[in-house]
Amino acid sequence: MLTRVKSAVANFMGGIMAGSSGSEHGGGGCGGSDLPLRFPYGRPEFLGLSQDEVECSADHIARPILILKETRRLPWATGYAEVINAGKSTHNEDQASCEVLTVKKKAGAITSTPNRNSKRRSSLPNGEGLQLKENSESEGVSCHYWSLFDGHAGSGAAVVASRLLQHHVTEQLQDIVEILKNSAVLPPTCLGEEPENTPANSRTLTRAASLRGGVGAPGSPSTPPTRFFTEKKIPHECLVIGALESAFKEMDLQIERERSSYNISGGCTALIVVCLLGKLYVANAGDSRAIIIRNGEIIPMSSEFTPETERQRLQYLAFMQPHLLGNEFTHLEFPRRVQRKELGKKMLYRDFNMTGWAYKTIEDDDLKFPLIYGEGKKARVMATIGVTRGLGDHDLKVHDSNIYIKPFLSSAPEVRVYDLSKYEHGADDVLILATDGLWDVLSNEEVAEAITQFLPNCDPDDPHRYTLAAQDLVMRARGVLKDRGWRISNDRLGSGDDISVYVIPLIHGNKLS
Amino acid sequence: MTYAYLFKYIIIGDTGVGKSCLLLQFTDKRFQPVHDLTIGVEFGARMVNIDGKQIKLQIWDTAGQESFRSITRSYYRGAAGALLVYDITRRETFNHLTSWLEDARQHSSSNMVIMLIGNKSDLESRRDVKREEGEAFAREHGLIFMETSAKTACNVEEAFINTAKEIYRKIQQGLFDVHNEANGIKIGPQQSISTSLGPSASQQNCRDLGSDAGCC
Repeated sequence: MLTRVKSAVANFMGGIMAGSSGSEHGGGGCGGSDLPLRFPYGRPEFLGLSQDEVECSADHIARPILILKETRRLPWATGYAEVINAGKSTHNEDQASCEVLTVKKKAGAITSTPNRNSKRRSSLPNGEGLQLKENSESEGVSCHYWSLFDGHAGSGAAVVASRLLQHHVTEQLQDIVEILKNSAVLPPTCLGEEPENTPANSRTLTRAASLRGGVGAPGSPSTPPTRFFTEKKIPHECLVIGALESAFKEMDLQIERERSSYNISGGCTALIVVCLLGKLYVANAGDSRAIIIRNGEIIPMSSEFTPETERQRLQYLAFMQPHLLGNEFTHLEFPRRVQRKELGKKMLYRDFNMTGWAYKTIEDDDLKFPLIYGEGKKARVMATIGVTRGLGDHDLKVHDSNIYIKPFLSSAPEVRVYDLSKYEHGADDVLILATDGLWDVLSNEEVAEAITQFLPNCDPDDPHRYTLAAQDLVMRARGVLKDRGWRISNDRLGSGDDISVYVIPLIHGNKLS
Repeated sequence: MTYAYLFKYIIIGDTGVGKSCLLLQFTDKRFQPVHDLTIGVEFGARMVNIDGKQIKLQIWDTAGQESFRSITRSYYRGAAGALLVYDITRRETFNHLTSWLEDARQHSSSNMVIMLIGNKSDLESRRDVKREEGEAFAREHGLIFMETSAKTACNVEEAFINTAKEIYRKIQQGLFDVHNEANGIKIGPQQSISTSLGPSASQQNCRDLGSDAGCC
């Protein structure tokens, strides 16, 4: 089954690269509604809600804040709370999942030589050490995983991603787990070759070292080998970053190929956190946000990808491949819509290569609708979508046209790394992950202030304290219902969007290092 | 399962009066002596039969602690019925009824049916609030009243069902606009109601619910 669609995927990938989102792909998605769902709609599995409870929770009038039940626990005593939108969609289109993954070298996988050789190589002091190494090799590495998705134009993609992205992460990490465990030696540049014998902390790796093989024998590492050419040294964490990037891509490809046999509606942003070997990896594609609040200080762990923040990438793509605009849009940006009567006049504009503005003479082409239009939360790509990275959306077209949006969207996450061992975290130091429902109405500072007020007033041993803090944040963003709608502090408008929040205590990271 | 109407209920009252236990007894027919503190809102649902019509009760069980009051206040909106619960062995829970009632009246639709419940009627030896006091409070504020025991299940079924009967009566009198979901009532997906195989609730309903004297 999988292999049958694989070649189709390969073809399509070629299509994307060539920029032709041609008609042959249109058919697959159009019949979507007749196809079965890949997974039924529901709330995050860890909430453990029955069908009746899911139904109750979908109340757009009272908007109940859902939290982890007393009987349920997430790894690290993570707190979680969510609330449905005020009526913009039937379902809560946010999704989440959280689990502990075990990453083990795939059975039957080609063994990368470095580990074998590392034993021979004797950087380890004695035989006991070797023995330990052997055991840990078979055990695998456990890795904590939190994910948050914000769906649009349907809940399908977000539901699928919340069920499957972790498997792609595991699969990608499996390929490199043995290399990661062997932290004393830099990752080999080429698998299957004789390994580098240069310790991880040495300045450069040389080809010569690997060619000569025996150089790393006891006592000799200090001898500088002859250098033929330099080679980039790639630290271990970059392999994890690469694995997460690949996992996002694979997830997007899976949605892409499975939509011919399942109804996978819409698209979604994706924000995940992976804790592996003492480091947090925060991967974000979309407009959700992660921040660390440590001792009251805010450390941003992600940035948002929107038409505004990605303007130059999108404009450049449209400039290079103008057919993607379907002759309907211009890749140039103007401060406002250009009017026909302004032809021949000079107006401020900016192109993909500019952050500042300049004047240009208005031509016919400039009258087309701008590729990026609108400000702030209202900015849209081709008047259609307000988020520029994520998963799914393969069938999304500009309204009433045959112009596909997907070529402009990227599934690539930005990955940031946080070393848990560099700081002794207290019980009130947390990582907050939330969808834009929270961040649209509360600033980082307001969130940090709320957390630093709330947590110290909770019993440090209360297992629910982080869930209560998450509930407090959702409450602050949703607000209370006054006659004319949801209001938050200072009589500002509350968020009418789906809001989902994790509060992850970092104190559990201390034990890892 | 199909139903003619869906009614939304909310259970309110001080912490520890047995709100979650009443819900559990009603939906699962069991009693859990040690119940964790509810720290937000929890849900239950059950089908009942009123006048030959299948009615789905959707019940919101709220945290009673003062610190959660601001959160639970928004849950009155869109409730057709409220069970206001106190503990007959703890007078302070009875004394707080006025404040709960104020909250309920202020944040709900004016037609919301409120059932006052004196729970823990099995603990007669520790009774701190007389039945007559509960009755008087209910009369004064226009509430329906019952004493229940979530432990022995006494009157639990009746409390939920009588509230539904009262809501149903108001619908028939045209007091509720059933097309406005903000009133806590939804019309079921199309259905012919008469054919359904009655769940246990429908038999229960055949009993005379007018008297709550029975076991309590």
